[in-house]
Amino acid sequence: MSDLVVADLVAGYGDARVLHGVSFTVREGEVCAILGPNGAGKTTLLRALSGVVRVRGTVTLGGTTLAGRSPDTIARHGVAHVPEGRGTFMPLTVEENLRLGAYVRRGGAEVEEDLGRIYTYFPVLKTRLKQAAGSLSGGEQQMLALGRALMLRPRLLLLDEPSLGLAPLVTRELFRIVQAINAEERTTVVVVEQNAHLALGIAQQAHVLETGRIVLSGTAAEIRADEQVAQSYLGYRV
Amino acid sequence: MSATKVVTEPAPVRERRPPDPRWRWAGLALLLAAAVYAPFQLVPFHVFQLTMVLVYAVALLGLNLLVGHAGQISLGHGAFFAVGAYSGAILLDRWDLPYPLTLPVAAGVAFVLGLALGVPAMRLRGLYLALVTLAIAIFLVPLLKRFEAVTGGSMGLTLAKPAPPGWSGLAEDQWLYFLTLIVTVAAFLLAAGLLRSRVGRALHALRDNETAAEVMGVRLSFYKTLAFAWSAMFAGAAGCVYTWVIGFVSPDSFTVNLSITLLAGLVVGGLGSLSGPVLGGLFVMFVPSISQDVNDAAPGVIFGLLIIVVMYVAPTGLAGLAARLAGRLVKKIPRKE
Ligand SMILES: Nc1ncnc2c1ncn2[C@@H]1O[C@H](COP(=O)(O)OP(=O)(O)OP(=O)(O)O)[C@@H](O)[C@H]1O
Ligand SMILES: [Mg+2]
Repeated sequence: MSDLVVADLVAGYGDARVLHGVSFTVREGEVCAILGPNGAGKTTLLRALSGVVRVRGTVTLGGTTLAGRSPDTIARHGVAHVPEGRGTFMPLTVEENLRLGAYVRRGGAEVEEDLGRIYTYFPVLKTRLKQAAGSLSGGEQQMLALGRALMLRPRLLLLDEPSLGLAPLVTRELFRIVQAINAEERTTVVVVEQNAHLALGIAQQAHVLETGRIVLSGTAAEIRADEQVAQSYLGYRV
Repeated sequence: MSATKVVTEPAPVRERRPPDPRWRWAGLALLLAAAVYAPFQLVPFHVFQLTMVLVYAVALLGLNLLVGHAGQISLGHGAFFAVGAYSGAILLDRWDLPYPLTLPVAAGVAFVLGLALGVPAMRLRGLYLALVTLAIAIFLVPLLKRFEAVTGGSMGLTLAKPAPPGWSGLAEDQWLYFLTLIVTVAAFLLAAGLLRSRVGRALHALRDNETAAEVMGVRLSFYKTLAFAWSAMFAGAAGCVYTWVIGFVSPDSFTVNLSITLLAGLVVGGLGSLSGPVLGGLFVMFVPSISQDVNDAAPGVIFGLLIIVVMYVAPTGLAGLAARLAGRLVKKIPRKE
């Protein structure tokens, strides 16, 4: 089983501790949503999982320890991270961006094959291959970021607020694609999202993070039914 | 495909596609032809000046890898230039090495030194990195004076310049020019190859978005250090050729001023493009000496002003400006395919 197990995870920047002992498990092939107010530490949690910030505690993926490893080692273990704000390489072309996604992989033929697969998920990218990525629209850039992450052939996909700054229609399309990827490739997904409706719509499990601690965990349906969550993140009372 | 195809696209952040690659090749071929023709038309002093422009262009090619492509800064590039120059000089002086052999050794010494200094330096960023590299440049001159037995101290070392072989029929200045031209072309091919490789893509990714590159598996410290070592290697090669051409090295030729002039030249010439270093080489060769004629304090003022003006008028440097103008010209010519 290739589960993601996080236990007593502590992380921060310099002396400032942001995560104070976070524990949760995501079963292989499931989608897990992380909700929480601004500044709760959601982005930091994803950064901790991909090794960009230093951590203490346990992070394992399919039994392999990831905590304390460098970002490139973690990437080699199949963890792809779509960072907050998409992380587009603006002056590079769309194709160069995509190829960089396969950076840790060798083997030309497989990469070409995967490019083709990405184009079936995101046909719009195929028409923009030689264009500077910075000239794409926000929605297209988010698709590029997702496509680029898929080029790693990830076992675990970390998404940081994919809906940020996108029109509702584009956001829904994006989540539909994430769901399709999750279903077809059996990729485990951890998605941080302000748009709780959409995130809970594709997730099996969800956790609410507040000031660096998980304050509520449950199935997507349970979280949706929680009165506190409904008020804070869904904008209505149950 | 055809001239009638209308492509509507959002305003590009930066034009990545040259109008037509054939124009580029034509331009390069023309440039190379002019470079081969020039020494037969110019008086020796101008040939010498042109040679020095090429020497500086090779050094700037290295600096461009670090600053323009890897997004780091160095105020100590002149130090590696000096290391190359002295390596070449000492090899010629003490060991009587045939001069073509001094080039790879000098480049290698600078590369290794760049690697050694890059490991600690590249953990720093921004202002700290600027200060540490500046310190490298500052320490160099007293260091060279201190080891008088090998370096000749403040008197420096004087060497015989490579003599033109009889079969070539060239004068000394022309021979030195062609030697330098060969090194320059090789350096450009090498740099272009490096940038087109997987490593080049990794450098660009780091420059454009460090975190995104890191989570993709690009090893931050490794590539920064590698870029630093490469930049030192090009500087070292340029320094060695400098020794061939000038036939003399002394600590005062490699003060902090040289490092600053190189960085200024690169910025004015154009960061991140392959033609930037050539234009920057012109800058390094001519601007300090011309402004020195005006007034002793003038170089500083003129550098400052030039950099400010370029940043406002052409943030991509003279190379970017030239490319834009050329692009406009080319667009006026109807395209057919
Ligand atoms: N690079 C950094 N250096 C220092 N502190 C940081 C850094 N990044 C984030 N922080 C701090 O860590 C805390 C958590 O930030 P984080 O970005 O993880 O929150 P978030 O839940 O993703 O918020 P948002 O919903 O606004 O994206 C905040 O108090 C923030 O100020
Ligand atoms: Mg965040």
